[in-house]
Amino acid sequence: MQTLSVSGYDMAYLEIGQGRPLVCVHGTLGDFRTWSAVLGPLSKSHRVISVSLRRFFPEHWDGVGDDYLMVQHISDMIGFLEKLGDGPIDLMGHSRGGHIAFRVAQLRPDLLRRLVLAEPGGELDATLDPAASGPAPSERAARISASAEMAKAGDIEGALKLFFDTIDGEGAWGRLPAAPKQQLRDNVFTLIGQAGENRKPFSKAEAQSIETPTLFIGGADTKGSLPAVLRALSAEVPGAKTAIMPGCRHWMFEQAPLEFSAIVTAFLRN
Amino acid sequence: MQTLPVNGADMAYLDVGRGPPLVCVHGSLCDFRIWHGVLGPLSNEHRVIAPSLRHFFPAQWDGQGDTYSIAQHVSDVIGFIGKLNIGPVDLMGHSRGGHVAFRVAQRRPDLLRRLVLAEPGGELDATLDPDFVPGPSPLAARIATAAGKITAGDVEGGLAFFIDAIEGPGAWARLPAAPAQALRDNAFTLIGQARDNRPPFSKADAEAIAMPTLFIGGARTRGTLPHVLRTLAAHVPNSKTAMIPNTTHPMFEQAPQKFCEIVLEFLGTP
Repeated sequence: MQTLSVSGYDMAYLEIGQGRPLVCVHGTLGDFRTWSAVLGPLSKSHRVISVSLRRFFPEHWDGVGDDYLMVQHISDMIGFLEKLGDGPIDLMGHSRGGHIAFRVAQLRPDLLRRLVLAEPGGELDATLDPAASGPAPSERAARISASAEMAKAGDIEGALKLFFDTIDGEGAWGRLPAAPKQQLRDNVFTLIGQAGENRKPFSKAEAQSIETPTLFIGGADTKGSLPAVLRALSAEVPGAKTAIMPGCRHWMFEQAPLEFSAIVTAFLRN
Repeated sequence: MQTLPVNGADMAYLDVGRGPPLVCVHGSLCDFRIWHGVLGPLSNEHRVIAPSLRHFFPAQWDGQGDTYSIAQHVSDVIGFIGKLNIGPVDLMGHSRGGHVAFRVAQRRPDLLRRLVLAEPGGELDATLDPDFVPGPSPLAARIATAAGKITAGDVEGGLAFFIDAIEGPGAWARLPAAPAQALRDNAFTLIGQARDNRPPFSKADAEAIAMPTLFIGGARTRGTLPHVLRTLAAHVPNSKTAMIPNTTHPMFEQAPQKFCEIVLEFLGTP
């Protein structure tokens, strides 16, 4: 694969199409393949650059090491954009990758032209959610820890099922076709890293500080806390646009690739 | 993407992993992404190189010109392996890509170490099938109809007609959105496919394949593919056959782990 050396790590990426660069960041258990279904429509008008974050496939990581951290991935993405050196670029992130993209926009707005956050993952602090539980770990974090323990103990299927059903609803893992399952399985040991990734909750001041024109995009049928996080952030990010796709859930760009690409392309064009 | 200049065009390819090289050739309406479900397990032991054949995605082809044919693609794969400049490779092809791989093995055995044919596509001539009727394959008329619709701008109609003709009424509508989009990205290759000019396999062709060859298929595949597979396997001297239970033509997407286990064992045999 093509790679860029960032902070001592060769970050692999897939690059397709010509035009203004659009860098895409996958979420938990994803990798550069996450965006496959939208590569065609998006690459008609953009140079699509789909990265694999540190420790994700194509690396075959064993879960040992202490550099799977939210701050490391944010720093890696900043380094990647700097190395790319194409001037302000469009950045899109899904789920945990949306969290990373948000933090990049917060820290280095000079690097970005536009920002697309597809159901960004994370917690809300008390300034955004009066009912926030404070420093205690969320239920989601507890499930990640449990998944990580299962992966460590060799129960790969159990770890994946627990994580996936947490995000996409009970029974979702069982219904997933074998090929997408295998691509998540290729990244299962990143769950071990994720249990200690030390992700900070979003605050109102952070959301209000995002200057980059931002699109929030989500699925109308997504389960759990992701829709509430999306709405809370989009209400505070100045001038943010929001698009909710009917009939879709968390992997909305796989469920409706043409519609997703049309919304994103229109936003990036304006 | 990474590309190699071959016969006057740039061939895009994905290159993942380290170890003995394994070149993977996709079938009709597909591209390098079709192997995503098996990249993980295969790249654990091999350098997996998945090209897109001429005119397939990431190319955006308009269907014009006479450079889409079996002969062109065979010549391109031969040129591609030569340009890799890494000595003999293992070659795997699926469906029409299996036909291409078979012809590469026939013409340039010096380029190959081992051969994996996953339900190769094609017809059997009179030396292999007493019922053989010379002339265009039964599929040709359907491809021509689909190609006509796509040429006229009705991409959805062309794909629906073609997929339903192969898989049965309603198959296109039932296809999940992500795999449907990958087919849509390659819809224009059906225009080329109408003049593919694929010669049937003969007994002498099969008997001439000298390298160790694995035929692999889905135990529940319908139509002519299983018959073609069994007939060729009976005549390729140094061949093995493995049928994966409960799978059909996209067997490596339906059972990626089992498929990889069989292929890796075959490639690893001294």
